[in-house]
Amino acid sequence: MLRTPLHESHSALGARLVDFAGWEMPIQFEGILAEHRAVRSAAGVFDVSHMGQLFVSGPKAAAFLAWVTTWDIRNLEPARCRYCHILDDEGHIIDDTIVYCLAPDEFLLVPNAATTDRIADWLASQISDFDASLEDCSAEMACIALQGPDAPRLLEMHLALAVEPFSLARQGDLIVSGTGYTGEPGCEIILPVDAALPIWEALLALGGATPCGLGARDTLRLERGMLLSGTDFDGSQTPLEANCGWVIGWGHQFIGREPLLAQRGSGYAVLRGIQLAERGVPRPGCDVFHAGERVGQLTSGTLSPSLGTGIGLAYLNLEPGTAVTVAVRGKHLNARVVRPPFQ
Amino acid sequence: MSDVPEELQYAESHEWLRQRDDGTCVLGISDHAQQALSDVVFVELPTVGDTFGAGDRVAVAESVKAASDIYAPVAGEITEVNQQLEEAPELLNESPYELGWIVAFRPAAEPQGLLDAAAYRQAIE
Repeated sequence: MLRTPLHESHSALGARLVDFAGWEMPIQFEGILAEHRAVRSAAGVFDVSHMGQLFVSGPKAAAFLAWVTTWDIRNLEPARCRYCHILDDEGHIIDDTIVYCLAPDEFLLVPNAATTDRIADWLASQISDFDASLEDCSAEMACIALQGPDAPRLLEMHLALAVEPFSLARQGDLIVSGTGYTGEPGCEIILPVDAALPIWEALLALGGATPCGLGARDTLRLERGMLLSGTDFDGSQTPLEANCGWVIGWGHQFIGREPLLAQRGSGYAVLRGIQLAERGVPRPGCDVFHAGERVGQLTSGTLSPSLGTGIGLAYLNLEPGTAVTVAVRGKHLNARVVRPPFQ
Repeated sequence: MSDVPEELQYAESHEWLRQRDDGTCVLGISDHAQQALSDVVFVELPTVGDTFGAGDRVAVAESVKAASDIYAPVAGEITEVNQQLEEAPELLNESPYELGWIVAFRPAAEPQGLLDAAAYRQAIE
């Protein structure tokens, strides 16, 4: 199994480790609830070194990225980031990613761990028509996320840096962006593997930042309705179905645009939030019922640590506000279709 | 190290059993089990009067990540459920052998195949 440069630190901190997309990653340190609450009320640090790092450079790098993503990257200014989707020819999401504009002719993509190889191959298959080159640096780069209301203060203390949401700053080998997967203020620090441990230890030594695992990362992102690659989309949904029309820049040509245009305005199931009205823990795969009929199943589901209620996501042809039930071990629990973020 | 009180009996599936003088038994999960589960956020309880066979699921303890079935080591009928767990499922973590008891039941037979504290301690080592 692959290990991040922080592996020994995780073991020393008593982390519980699991296999995630071929990486041995901490699922939790002290406990998911405590870590979740730390991020909502103070700050948490996450090792997300399993994420990919693909660099695209050259005179036509922006034009190339505009073609292979849903956003017109030619309009992305230096030192800005953009969340967008990479689609196949049918308009289905292969992966979601953040594109960083490091310079007008230099970009960084951060795809998900499980899809990095697939995305690297896909981009390589599309790049020949453009004066641009692609380099997969995933093995040489690590990533540390610092998230929570105290994160900007801790970043300022440690690196004397401030980053606005979706802006980025560079300091030596470090790329620091105002991004994350928790819905809280904070940043992600992309850096060479060798530089990761000192920064991780320094951030922990500041006090006030709790080491957090993938378990809390999942509950934090789900409360805010953020998608999990491979779970909330698995290669057979479009951004419109995933309720992510906002990632599409319609004014440019890109792979998958024609199928999306055809789908726009037609009837299709959309990824909706589901919130339980009674006690229980909805899980991925639980069936959703409306008016006595099975209408879908949960892609994600958990107990929301912040709200104390069961929450989930499901592709449904139902509007927010609709009453549904979720079958948990054969019991139908009352729930409602909602618009995330959950509250 | 997990706590394994001497006076209890244990199942290999990590439940503990306390036999009471009135012939009923109290069932919970061991300290080892609650540590493995980590934060318990929901406990699905049976209803008083429910009957069950040996090895049947009588309750479910859920953490954020997983649901874990709790089995009866012997057939019987539920006589009490710990209603406090509805409001405070974390009692399973905080007090697995006392406040975090799950159900009491009247066994239909003598419980078989349970481990004493020493044997359970060995099993979880």
